[in-house]
Amino acid sequence: MDEDILQDFLVEATELVDQLNEQLVDLEQAPSDRDLLNAVFRGFHTIKGGAGFLGITPLIEVCHRAENVFDKIRNGDVEYDAVVADVILRAFDVISDSIEQLNSGARDLPENDQGLLQELDAITKGQAVQEVETQADNAATMTTDIKLELPEGVDPDGEISDDEFEALLNQRDMLSEASSSSPQIPEEPKLELPEGVDPDGEITDDEFEALLNQRDLMDFAQVDETLSMPEPASEPVPQAKPADTKPAAPKESAPKPSVAPAGPAKASSKNTAESTVRVDTRRLDEIMNLVGELVLVRNRLLTLRTTQGSSEELSNAVANLDHVTTDLQTSVMKTRMQPVKKVFGRFPRVVRDLARKLGKEIDLELVGEDTDLDKNLVEALADPLVHLVRNSVDHGIEMPQDRIAAGKPEKGTVILAAQQEGDHILLSITDDGKGMDPDVLRRKAVEKGLMDEMTANQLDDKAAFELIMSAGFSTAEQISDISGRGVGMDVVKSMITKLNGSIDIHSVLGEGTRMSIRVPLTLAILPTLMVAFDEDNYAIPLTSVQEIFDYESDKINMIDGQMMVRLREKSIPLYFLSEWLAPEKVKEDYDGDKVVIVSIGNQRAGLVVEQVNGQEEVVIKPLGMMLKKISGYAGATITGNGSIALILDLPGVIQRFQY
Amino acid sequence: MELQTALPENSGLATGLEEDSTYIGPSARCVLFTLQDEIYGIYVKKIREVLRVGTIRKVAGTPPHVLGVINVRGVIVTVVDTRTIYGMPSKPVTDLSRIIIVELDDEQTVGMMVDFVMEVKDIPESKFEPLSSTKENASRYIQGIAHYQDNVIILIDVDNMLMNFE
Repeated sequence: MDEDILQDFLVEATELVDQLNEQLVDLEQAPSDRDLLNAVFRGFHTIKGGAGFLGITPLIEVCHRAENVFDKIRNGDVEYDAVVADVILRAFDVISDSIEQLNSGARDLPENDQGLLQELDAITKGQAVQEVETQADNAATMTTDIKLELPEGVDPDGEISDDEFEALLNQRDMLSEASSSSPQIPEEPKLELPEGVDPDGEITDDEFEALLNQRDLMDFAQVDETLSMPEPASEPVPQAKPADTKPAAPKESAPKPSVAPAGPAKASSKNTAESTVRVDTRRLDEIMNLVGELVLVRNRLLTLRTTQGSSEELSNAVANLDHVTTDLQTSVMKTRMQPVKKVFGRFPRVVRDLARKLGKEIDLELVGEDTDLDKNLVEALADPLVHLVRNSVDHGIEMPQDRIAAGKPEKGTVILAAQQEGDHILLSITDDGKGMDPDVLRRKAVEKGLMDEMTANQLDDKAAFELIMSAGFSTAEQISDISGRGVGMDVVKSMITKLNGSIDIHSVLGEGTRMSIRVPLTLAILPTLMVAFDEDNYAIPLTSVQEIFDYESDKINMIDGQMMVRLREKSIPLYFLSEWLAPEKVKEDYDGDKVVIVSIGNQRAGLVVEQVNGQEEVVIKPLGMMLKKISGYAGATITGNGSIALILDLPGVIQRFQY
Repeated sequence: MELQTALPENSGLATGLEEDSTYIGPSARCVLFTLQDEIYGIYVKKIREVLRVGTIRKVAGTPPHVLGVINVRGVIVTVVDTRTIYGMPSKPVTDLSRIIIVELDDEQTVGMMVDFVMEVKDIPESKFEPLSSTKENASRYIQGIAHYQDNVIILIDVDNMLMNFE
């Protein structure tokens, strides 16, 4: 297997699998959408083409059969209903798994499950056996007449454009489908080089392309139909037998790997391939760094301009630099952005499968798919979102009969939305299900021993909803294998917190629930509270900071060897950061210093610092590997005046003081 | 050496210490610097730049050989005291002190505080000799020594030194 070609195939196949994932579910909603059907068909066909080229038999088997089923659907012989969709989706999963295995380095795929293949065959044959036979007869009699022809004026030797391919596909649609019901992989039809091409010499890309196209079209028409592109292929030409041409072709074309995928793919991906470049994210980080420095230089220049009273020309130049730098910074930020569609794309399938399994009817609406956010965030958000959407489908939306009884439409709706809000992204999952009952939640909390009845009753509704995010809390009466094991919501919460985000629950009993997640646009920027000992700045992640007040010695007690501060009837352990960060600043009397109350997980702590310098949004920079091992620091950053501030890692800080 | 004997005009110098211009064999370009009174060398290809000493931000909790971190055009770089690593008493920063920014094999950058940076020299490879195993601990970070123009140059194995020194 040629590794280069395989890699190209995988890149393309992965994209196709992503597309198909969405398209298949859409198709179930709109089975009569011919464009969508063609797109799905093409998707399977392209994967099959690539797999065929590389000889990945298990993949070919499944794709081929799936393709056959869609052929039947296109001819109106089979309907794409939920039953067929289940089988197709299973086949799709096999394909998707195979691609994933190949991507992760496996080269030998396991044999296919015969049951699935038979089911696919059954759909193809099933209702339509009779028809197929008559069609086959027709095809046989028509053999000599059927020709696929490109529209006039189209140069068959050049690249096939989308339109041309479309035209061919449509032509083919009109032709009888004699061969598609055959479950076996057909023998390779003969390929022929265009006239004037010397088959012994180097095969050029164009020639290779032409051969590939021929081969593709042969695949379409398979049996005996005569092709007229560019010459009838039925005439045997000995030196261009596929056995000779095929093994040679991949080798010759290897330097330009984009030729490798079969014709249709080439046509459809050609435009995008040329307008994008793959860049290592580390390189982007480097650029980000330099831009950050440039911003600092600009800031210094801006200050100089006002203090030094420079000439008008100079100040114009500085103003210009100011604009350019700002634009540059935004552009560089944008290079790291990806549309949230990347995550959302998987949800139609998730919801569809779950709904079918649970016997519910659910519409999933996606809003704001084009909202951009940081690449790392897109990846990090996938798991929490899947969990929340599953929750909405499983616990939120009621069974159809319950919905009718409650006077709601039979079909439930789940809305997954994303929107930008200043420097944050707001993601929300809204369902029109049964909502949550705060009283039930309060009762559960007491039953599970999470708190006593008094405390529970003092919780307002919002706090009661938030109970579902505490560890060991599950309200589902019946534990299902979908959600409701009582691990999950707390995990979701900690994942979101890790991204410096927050999660908010709003629910109205009987009307539905909305979970809102707010995350920063990028992971690289962290809002912090700047604290200091003299010149030395430290940054505390702002999401953890709860409140700040003056140190007053009469509020401090020593309890069991630990200093505690009293705050609204609660005692909170107090740590003097100077003991660690500035030993020369350890003193008897801390009056005038500040106490910063922070929350770490579900515990709180008070940190005593000398000065609090306000909020600052900082770019997190890693400390080198020599300092990685030192606990208590999450990184470093460069402040507005060019000095370095260390970012504190609160769990690490507390650990330092506790042991 | 064969090359030199082939050039008649150099024959007079061949017995003494060669000047750069007269040696044509393979040579290693090194940055030479001093610690105490000893001359050390680092291959130029390992060095990204040499900086004057600016503000070094101390980091609490670090081992003694780590002086702190500096900002090199937006990248945070750890600075180590090369004296401490070689077991010499550390000395206050002077006008001559420099930080040599080296790039390790894993693309990490580290700054090495040194007393004084002398020059960049091409040292004939024939002048290098591997170190006979004497002082176990210190020799771990020395690649070899070169006798060159009346001086002994100690060639540092920066990767080994900065990755392994505890």
